[in-house]
Amino acid sequence: MAGRPSHRLRFGVGLALAAGLGVGVSYLLLAAERRQAAAAGEERRAVVATQALAELVERAGRRGEPARRAVGAWQAGHDRVRVARVVALEGISLEASTAPEDQGDKAAPRRLARDEKALYDQGQRLRAAVAANKEGGAPKAEIEAQPLTGGALRLATPVLEEGAVTGMVQIESTPSEPAPRPPLFPAILAFLGPLVLFGLVSAVLGQRRLPLAFAAAACLALGVGAYALHSLAAVSSGRALAQQALAQSVQAEAGAVRAALSAVGLHEAPPLRPGTWDADAYRRPRGLLGPDGKVDEAAGASEAAAARGQAERALWGVAILAMALLLLVGLGGFQKLAATLVANRQAYFYVIPAMVGMLVLVFFPFIYGIALSFTDSNLYTINQPLTDTWIGLRNYGDILGDFGVARRAADGSLIFNYLNFYWTLAVTVLWTVSNVTIGVSVGLLLALILNTPGLAARPLYRVLLILPWAVPNYITALIWKGMFHRQFGVVNHVLRLLGSQGISWFDTPATSFLTALATNGWLSFSFMMVVSLGGLQSIPAELYEAARVDGASRWQRFKAITLPSLKPALVPAVILSVVWTFNMFNVIYLVTAGEPGNSTEILITQAYKFAFERYRYGYAAAYSTIIFGILLAYSAIQNKLSRATEAA
Amino acid sequence: MKPSRPALTLLAALALAGPAQAAELTVWHAYRAEEKAAFEKACAQYAAGKPGTTVTTLAVPYDAFADKITAAVPRGKGPDVFIFGQDRLGGWIEAGNTVEPLDFFLDEGVKGRFIPTTLQAMTYRGTVYGLPFNYKEITLIYNKKLVSAPPKTTGELVALAKKLTDKKAGRFGLAYAYSDYYYHAALQNAFGGRVFDEGKPVLNAPENVKALDLLLKWIDAGIVPAEPSTALITSLFNEGKAAMVFNGPWFLGEIAKEVDYGLARLPTVDEAGGKPMRPWMTVEGLYVTAPSKNKEAAYDLVKYLTDVPAATVMALEGRQTPSNKKAYDDPRVAGDRVLSAFRAQAETALPMPNLPEMSMVWSPATTVMNTVTRKAATPQGALDKAQAQVVKEVAGLRKRP
Repeated sequence: MAGRPSHRLRFGVGLALAAGLGVGVSYLLLAAERRQAAAAGEERRAVVATQALAELVERAGRRGEPARRAVGAWQAGHDRVRVARVVALEGISLEASTAPEDQGDKAAPRRLARDEKALYDQGQRLRAAVAANKEGGAPKAEIEAQPLTGGALRLATPVLEEGAVTGMVQIESTPSEPAPRPPLFPAILAFLGPLVLFGLVSAVLGQRRLPLAFAAAACLALGVGAYALHSLAAVSSGRALAQQALAQSVQAEAGAVRAALSAVGLHEAPPLRPGTWDADAYRRPRGLLGPDGKVDEAAGASEAAAARGQAERALWGVAILAMALLLLVGLGGFQKLAATLVANRQAYFYVIPAMVGMLVLVFFPFIYGIALSFTDSNLYTINQPLTDTWIGLRNYGDILGDFGVARRAADGSLIFNYLNFYWTLAVTVLWTVSNVTIGVSVGLLLALILNTPGLAARPLYRVLLILPWAVPNYITALIWKGMFHRQFGVVNHVLRLLGSQGISWFDTPATSFLTALATNGWLSFSFMMVVSLGGLQSIPAELYEAARVDGASRWQRFKAITLPSLKPALVPAVILSVVWTFNMFNVIYLVTAGEPGNSTEILITQAYKFAFERYRYGYAAAYSTIIFGILLAYSAIQNKLSRATEAA
Repeated sequence: MKPSRPALTLLAALALAGPAQAAELTVWHAYRAEEKAAFEKACAQYAAGKPGTTVTTLAVPYDAFADKITAAVPRGKGPDVFIFGQDRLGGWIEAGNTVEPLDFFLDEGVKGRFIPTTLQAMTYRGTVYGLPFNYKEITLIYNKKLVSAPPKTTGELVALAKKLTDKKAGRFGLAYAYSDYYYHAALQNAFGGRVFDEGKPVLNAPENVKALDLLLKWIDAGIVPAEPSTALITSLFNEGKAAMVFNGPWFLGEIAKEVDYGLARLPTVDEAGGKPMRPWMTVEGLYVTAPSKNKEAAYDLVKYLTDVPAATVMALEGRQTPSNKKAYDDPRVAGDRVLSAFRAQAETALPMPNLPEMSMVWSPATTVMNTVTRKAATPQGALDKAQAQVVKEVAGLRKRP
C-alpha cells in the first residue's frame, strides 16, 4: 500500500474488529451464563430431591423395612433420579438401595462391601462436617455434590437423629439435556448494524479524522450496548423462569414425599416445610422460597439484582475493551505496533522463549504471591478462589503495625516477643551485617596470604580453601548442627577436654545465633576469597614497586593500592552477598531451626513457618512481599551509592 | 494413550497373582539405628507370611519428613503407609487426600487390642485415621540412692523434695522442664485443665489457672531449680543433684551409667482432690495414604504391624512402648522395668490434641510459661492474653463463608 492509509478504512476495520470482539465475547458470556444457570438449576433441583429423601427417611425411621419401602415408593415417582441409597453409619450397613446392581443377593439391608468403602467414608465425612460446623469449626460442606458423566450428579446429604448424624442418603441423577445456545440472530444484528451505519455516515464525513472517530465510537456503543441490554434481559428472564421451575419441582417433591409417607402408612405430622429443602452446601435454606415452597418475590428480587450487577460489570468490561480496540486500530496505534514487530521480527523471535519462560516461572508466581498477600488464605480456605478470602491490607497492618517487641518482667529483665516482625528484622539485619563482615575480612585475609609471592603449593591451598563453598550448603549446615550437639557434638567435646561443662548451644538466643553465624562464616569466606584473589592478581606489580621506591610502608601500600584496586571486584560481591545472606534459608532452618522459641529466625524462615507450620498462607505471602520490598529498597539505595562511588 | 510400563507390569502382576495378593507396599518412616532394624524385621516378617507381597521401607530424615508427606502424598507420589506422630494428623486431614479413614476396616477385635487413649489420639472428629503404633509420655524418674520409695502424692513429693533440697549446694529435690508447656500439661490435666473444649480454645479455663498457681507454689518453695533447661536437668540428675525428674523415654539414654535410677508413676495431686497427674501422650500412628493403590493390602500390613508378634519385636528390639496392650502379656516385655513403667503411666496419660489449631497454641503457651514462672505476669492475666491471641488466630483460620 503506497501513500497515507485511509482514515475511513482504518476506522472501518477497527469498528469491525471491536464490534466483533464486543458482541462475540458478550455472546460467549451469555452462553456460559446459560450453561452455568442450567447446571446450577440442575444441582438445586437435585439438592431438593436429596433433602426431601433425607426428610422422608428420617420420618420413616431411618432404617429397617419402613424406610426401605418409603425409598422404593419415592423412587417410583422419580424418573430423573437413577439411584437412591440409604446408608446407616452404625453397623456400616446399606439400608436401602434402588440401584439395579443392588438386587438379588446384594439387596439391602446388608453390610457394605469393601469396594463400597467410599460410600461409608462419605457418610463419616458428612457426620464430621455437621459436628464441626455446629462447634464453630472451619466450615465444611454438609451436602456433597460430585459431577458424573453427561451432566449427571451424585449428591449426598446426612440423615440426622436428634441433631446427630446417624446415616446418609445418596442419589444419582440421570444425565441432563445440555442448555440450548442463545440465538445467533441478535448477535449478528448487533455486529452488522453498526458497520452498515458507519458505512453510511462515513460516506458523508469523508476522510476527516476526528468526526470519523466519534462516529465509529457511537456506532460501536450502539451495537454493543444494545446487545448488552438484550443479554441482561435474557439473563433476568432466565432466572425468573428457573425460580418458577424450581418452585414447581419443590411442590412436586413435596407431593412425592407425601405419597411415599402414606404408602408406608405414616401421617404428615409435623407438616413438611418443602421450602427449606432448597439449601446451600451447608444445608442452610437459601431463603428464595418460602417454607411452603412458593417463590419468595422479595428475596428473589434482591438476589436477581445482585446477579444483574455482576453481569453488568462483566459487560462494561467487555465494552471498554472493545472501545480500546477500536481506538487502537482507528487512530493508527495498532499499525505502528505491527510495523515495529515486523521490522524487528528477528529480535522478537529470539526473545520469545525467554519471555515465555520468565512469564511462567517468574512473573506469574510473583504476581500470584502478591495477590495472595491480600487474602486470608489458610489451611481451610486454600481451595477457595482468592476473591472470596480477600481482606485488603489487613495482613500488612498486622505485621507492620505490631510494635510489641519487648516488655519488662517483674524482676526488671526484658521479655521479648520473638514472633514480632521487628525482632525478626533486627535479627536478620544483625545476621546479614555480621556475616558479610566475617566473610569479607576472613576472605580478604586468606586471599592476601595466598597472594604471597613465591608461596609453595598455592594451587593446593586454593582448592582446599574453596571446598567449603563447593560442598552443598545444606550438607555443611547439617554437619555443623551435629558439631554443636550438646552431648555428642565435637565443639562441646573439646570444651569438656578443656574442663568446661559444655554449652547447650540451642538453649539461649545468643549461643544459638552464634552456631548459625559460625556455619555461615564457614560457608561464605571462600567466595570472598576467590573474588579478592582474582582482584589481587590483577593489580600490576609495578604499582607496588613504585610505592616501595617512594618509601611507602606495608600498611600504606595496602590502603592506597590494594583496597582501591579491589573495590570494583569487592563491591558487587558484597552487594550479592548481602542479598544471599539476608535470605539464607538453609543455614537458619537447618542449624538453629529458630530455637529457642523462634528467637533466631530470620525473615525468610519466619515466613516459611507462618506458611507451613501455622498454615497461614496469606499472612506468609504478605511477609514475603515485605521481604521483597526491603531488598528492593536496599538494591535501589546500594545502586545509587555504588554509582556515586564509581563516579568519584 | 499408551499405557505406561509400570501400569502394564502392575496389570500383569494382578492377572497372574489374583487381586488380593500381589501388592508392592512402600512404607516411609523416620527411624534410625535399632528402631529401624526392628521395624524392617517386622516388615520382613509380614512379607514372609504373604507370598507375592513385597514391603519396601524407606527411612526419611525426621527433619524433612512432615514436609515431604505434605508435598508428596496428596499428589499421588507418596508411599502406601507412613509413620508419624498424631500432632500433624489434623492438619493432614483438613488439607485432604493425605490420610485414609480406617473406620470401615476396623472391627472390634482390632480396636480392642489398643490402649484406648492411643486409639483416641488417632481419632479425629469421630473417625479413626490410623492405627497407633507406639506412644511416649513423661513419668517420674528418680535416683534410687536418694529416694528409697517414690512419692505417691504431691504432698509426699513436696515434703520429700524439701528434705532433699539444698539450694546452697545446688541440690534440688525435683527438677523438670516446668516452663515447657508440654511438661506442665501433666499438672494442668490433673486439675481437668485443657486447651480445647469441643474444638474451641479454652486456654484460660479456671483449671489451667489452678495448675499454674500450684506450680508457682512449688517454685516459691524452692524445690525446683530456676530456668530449668533440658541440659541443666540432665546434668543435675547425672551429678546426683536432682533426686527426682519428670521426663520421658528420650531421657533414659542421657542418664549416666553410674546413676541407679528407678521409674514410677507421676504422683496424684492433693490440690486437685487426689486426681493423678496426667501427662500428655504423643502417639506414633501407622497411616494408610489416601491416594494409595493398595489400600486393603496396606491396611493388612498396618494391622499386622500393630499385632502382638510385631509389637513384641518393636518393644524388645526397637525399645518402643507398643500401643498394643496384649504385647505386655509377654513376660519379656512385662519383665522390662522401663517398658512396664511407661505402660503403667499410660493409664493416666492423655493424648495430646491432634487438632491443626494446636500449632497455634504452642507459641502463646510458651510465652505464658515464661512470663508466669519468671513472675512477669499473673497466671490469670497471662492465660487471658494467650487465650485472646489463640482465639484471634483460630478465628482467622475458621472464617465463615
